[in-house]
Amino acid sequence: MARETLLTLAIMAALLGTVIVAQMMGEGFVITLATKATIFALAGVGLNLALGYGGLVSFGHAAFFGIGGYVTGILASHAGAGTAVATLPFTLMGSNQMLGIWPMAMLAAGAAALLIGALSLRTSGVYFIMVTLAFAQMLSYFAISWPRYGGEDGLSFYVRNSFPGLNTLVPVQYFAICMALLVLALIASSVIVRSRFGLALQAARQNDQRAAAVGIRPYALRLVAFVISAMITGLAGSLYADLNRFVSPAMMSWHMSGEIMVFVILGGVGRLAGPVAGAVVFILLEHLLGGVSEYWKALLGLLLLAIVLFAPGGLIGLALRRDRHV
Amino acid sequence: MVLFIEQALNGLQYGMMLFLMAAGLTLVFGVMGLINLAHGSLYTVGAFACAWVAAATGSFFLGLVASLVAAAAAGALVEVVVIRRLYHRDHLDQVLATFALILVFSEGTRWLFGSFPLYLTLPPLLAGAVTLPGGVQYPLFRLAIIGIGAVVALGLFFLINRTRLGIRIRAGEADREMIAALGVDIERLYTIVFALGAALAGLAGALVGTIQSVQVGMGEPVLILAFVVIIIGGIGSIKGALIGALLVGMTDVLGKALLPGLFARVMAGSDAATVGSAVASMLIYILMALVLLVRPQGLYGQRG
Amino acid sequence: MSDAVLTLSHLRKSFGSLLATDDVSLDLRRGEVHALIGPNGAGKSTLIKQITGELRQDAGTIVFEGERIDHLDTAARARRGLARSFQVSSVIPAFTVLQNIMLAVLGAGGGVYRFVRPALRDPGLTDPARFHAEQVGLADRLTTRAAALSHGERRRLELAMALALRPRAFLLDEPMAGLGLEGARHLTTLLSDLRHQAPILLVEHDMDAVFALADRISVLVYGRIIATGTVAEIRANDAVRRSYLGEGA
Repeated sequence: MARETLLTLAIMAALLGTVIVAQMMGEGFVITLATKATIFALAGVGLNLALGYGGLVSFGHAAFFGIGGYVTGILASHAGAGTAVATLPFTLMGSNQMLGIWPMAMLAAGAAALLIGALSLRTSGVYFIMVTLAFAQMLSYFAISWPRYGGEDGLSFYVRNSFPGLNTLVPVQYFAICMALLVLALIASSVIVRSRFGLALQAARQNDQRAAAVGIRPYALRLVAFVISAMITGLAGSLYADLNRFVSPAMMSWHMSGEIMVFVILGGVGRLAGPVAGAVVFILLEHLLGGVSEYWKALLGLLLLAIVLFAPGGLIGLALRRDRHV
Repeated sequence: MVLFIEQALNGLQYGMMLFLMAAGLTLVFGVMGLINLAHGSLYTVGAFACAWVAAATGSFFLGLVASLVAAAAAGALVEVVVIRRLYHRDHLDQVLATFALILVFSEGTRWLFGSFPLYLTLPPLLAGAVTLPGGVQYPLFRLAIIGIGAVVALGLFFLINRTRLGIRIRAGEADREMIAALGVDIERLYTIVFALGAALAGLAGALVGTIQSVQVGMGEPVLILAFVVIIIGGIGSIKGALIGALLVGMTDVLGKALLPGLFARVMAGSDAATVGSAVASMLIYILMALVLLVRPQGLYGQRG
Repeated sequence: MSDAVLTLSHLRKSFGSLLATDDVSLDLRRGEVHALIGPNGAGKSTLIKQITGELRQDAGTIVFEGERIDHLDTAARARRGLARSFQVSSVIPAFTVLQNIMLAVLGAGGGVYRFVRPALRDPGLTDPARFHAEQVGLADRLTTRAAALSHGERRRLELAMALALRPRAFLLDEPMAGLGLEGARHLTTLLSDLRHQAPILLVEHDMDAVFALADRISVLVYGRIIATGTVAEIRANDAVRRSYLGEGA
């Protein structure tokens, strides 16, 4: 456990160090890449709670990522135009304040997860994977066929939303915001995992018959984990929308769901820092392999195959050379 | 009315195509307990093989044969090299490995054939339209797809219920160790089942490629629809796959054809048609949600 | 009959054409060990599963402490104090002994939805868990993972988890299975004391243990109870001798 904590700190330090060096050398592009990795890591931290600790193989987390993104884009575009998002049942104005947008993004993602989870958790195993995938796809088709907010073309907003006391358009300042949220999410998930709730959740993952026999209902437990997980991923979606100042149905596509899953598994399922390591490596590979061949995703696929077949513990598992822990 | 009949036939044709996809998926689920995301890639392989061979030889029918052969071969190869190592892994590993296979397949296809779509031309024998009773003009080729789907469905029922291979498949579903103990070469059985499913997917790809166009990524939306079919029909059941596919095909096509107009009649305003088409795009998922509420194991699913 | 804690009346359960539970009635009284014996395939496990709620009976009722529980799910029955151990040891292998018992304490006491305080630093969980570990003699194995325990130790861990549920009745499904002579003797002593805490419905193949522990015995054959009585009565019962004991003795 201590070694894993050290490793977590080392990975975070490496990410932070990269940005500091890039800032000193004036490499804005590297900072943007690091910001992207940080946001993806946050999305993965969300999924890891459901997948790693709850055993819920959700292939639909892009839905929550996308919902967080769309909430951000919609609020920001209305704020830009000075119009109301909705007038019924109450007037909801647009917003360009991150502190107001984040809770809305998380709430919307959480509400969607409550609905999707309540239905999907009636099933298990392979069914659960397919059902979450299908519901995410439904939202993605909805975004494509709903022209009001850009439909298939997506929705652009021209100014990044603001945060009190910072200039979010300066790359390193925006990175700092994302990094701070990632650290908070890591702390929150490590606290949750060790709590009473975490104990019960992990018990239900390993033996749900046993959990029920001691009076713990796996369904409600998993639904709560699923919702919390979706809220964190939704927050990441909001940050990603602000990073690009653009949202599109691609954020909800099943490729995105697959990639969020890859961050978690590349790093190591059920490891605190797994998603961080996974996302950093993914972005690095995208950048490096992308330079080698335009078909870099084929290489990524082969690498992924090798990891699944030969290193089931992921990168952190390799680094610690130990079986997956509790 | 004419429009309705035409759309209903389109729904039937779409459903039959989904059945070809779903049948292979559900067999592989049922017999090997494996979730294969790369099933859509085999569909794409079939479409490309058909387009390429048809273009090279000038014969559409040779193209169809090529789609079956190429998809079956690709399926068998993938089974032997990768999938075989995944039967005893958990679903997470299966999802990830087959997701990786998709990346390899689609980039590979793009590298071989480029990003531009290919087009298939219909042979004269199947081109044109027929006049159905009631005076409806309907493309012959779409009728042929309905026919092919029906023949495959009958063939699969016969295969599973009446032949030695079918008995082995059913035994394999019930108890892997038992069938191994009976002296059946289980590895070969699995490869055959996987290749069979792949061939059906490849056939579906070739047929759809003839109606639409052949391009990288064409298999992915179909794969997800095939999942919806299986969720509705119940895992491992060919009958469920058939009923589910027809339900999904009909619902999707009729919903998209009729709902925008229906909404425009009920709702005032210019938004009505867009609301209608947005709802129509979600209709099959709403159907899936209803099935999950009433029968989480699917209409013909065994696990209670 | 007023001291019956658990009463099954006319339970019936069939799987297709197979009648697995055929009009079973029995009761478990305060302070007793009631053993349920019968040949393999007699339907003992099916019966236990109906009591715990893993299976729903086709007909009949289950009354626990004066209330019908047959409409409740497994978790709700467990919370009312119906503690079971499994035929195949089923603890959480990656959890330590302490964590496993804490889980049972958590299930019994409620308060699952607390997200902040570390469970391992929560005396509301750890104190009772340590106490029950001591009760079954696992106090020196608290930080060992369940996967690393010996078979006998795992059996005792199961028992500690059952105890942590503050049970009003125990359902023990073959607790002696796979234990050596020494282990079985140890467990017999433990169970013998337990009956005063809560009565035990004991499914067991080990006849020595059954005869040593049981106050009453019911014999289940082909889903029917063919006899219920004291140890002496069962030993003397002709039907039982013919259909069951006769084969083994």
